[in-house]
Amino acid sequence: MNQMLRFGLILGLICAAATLVLAVTYEVTKPKIEDQLKKEESAALAKVVMPGADTFTEKTLDGVEYLEAFKNKRLVGYCIRATGTGYSGYIRMLVGIDLSSTIKGVSILEHSETPGLGAKINEVRPKEEEPYFLRQFKGKQAYSIELKKDVDAITGATISSKAVSDAIRDTVNKFLAKMKDEKGL
Amino acid sequence: MKLLGEFLKGIWRENPTFRMVLGLCPTLAVSTTIANGIGMGLAATFVLVGSSIFVSLVRNIVPEKVRIPCYIVIIATFVTIADLFMKAYSPALSRSLGMFVPLIVVNCIVLGRAEAFSSKEPPMRSIIDALGMGIGFTLALIVISAIRESLGNGTALGFSFSRVFEPPLFMILAPGALLTIGLLIGLINYFTAKKGLRRGKKD
Repeated sequence: MNQMLRFGLILGLICAAATLVLAVTYEVTKPKIEDQLKKEESAALAKVVMPGADTFTEKTLDGVEYLEAFKNKRLVGYCIRATGTGYSGYIRMLVGIDLSSTIKGVSILEHSETPGLGAKINEVRPKEEEPYFLRQFKGKQAYSIELKKDVDAITGATISSKAVSDAIRDTVNKFLAKMKDEKGL
Repeated sequence: MKLLGEFLKGIWRENPTFRMVLGLCPTLAVSTTIANGIGMGLAATFVLVGSSIFVSLVRNIVPEKVRIPCYIVIIATFVTIADLFMKAYSPALSRSLGMFVPLIVVNCIVLGRAEAFSSKEPPMRSIIDALGMGIGFTLALIVISAIRESLGNGTALGFSFSRVFEPPLFMILAPGALLTIGLLIGLINYFTAKKGLRRGKKD
């Protein structure tokens, strides 16, 4: 009994020390990590998701998070947050649509797909500016977009490709329905 | 001189990937591109060195019966530190390695060195051993990923030569990894066996 108490105490001490070290590391890196995420997002917004727009205001409608995009103070479209379930986790993205729900751009903010396969949904070819998979979405109707019909899937990564196109279609449909309700009321 | 031997054994004679065949799961998974291979190798080296120092420092106060949980806590701490710093200062690498960084916790090379070496040796020798093992692991990853990326994707560290031939996709997929690692281990075994035979004749 005495011995067991000693064992527990030593293990507990090591755990306490580890917790302290991790708490400090977390606090030190937290602002930097959030900074990185925010930087990525704002860079993606004006450059990829809604090219040409200059101001964005964060909005929430019945659980759908989106940003209104303005150009010279005139509303030009919406940037909607969509989350798809990929092969190995969630794929978080931003979809930009204009007022007639044509896709202006798609940007993937976070994913954990297999490197070399599913990760190609966000891969940029050498000498190119944007991921070749996401480029295909531009100019297509968001509410009816379908893999293999409107956009080509990535070889060996159908699940990841489908997760992106399905999430865009479903989230945009949900958003449009909610907007309609809102205006109808 | 003895320290140098401790360092060199991880790179060749006891190479974790090719000689001890440890840590194959991350090796299979991240050796798709050279950049991923280097990133994974360096992250694992950091965890190896950090955890071996502390495992070695506490080796005389940690009781035999609770040593494994103690080692795992120490290793997990260093893995989380590496993961957080990577997210903060190298988001691109962190994104492409994804979940394989947290999975270093269960990489058997790390726990293997803690159990087999640093739990019995003083800190200085443990650091040298961990460095050798980490660099050996990194070099192995670079060799495997160089073969797979150039054959399977037609690229190497940003250079593209996919116009010369149509890259066979399966080299990037899991079978390509198994084939590459298997052939490399076979090759190394062949040469070691041949060398051993020659040495045997001389004696």
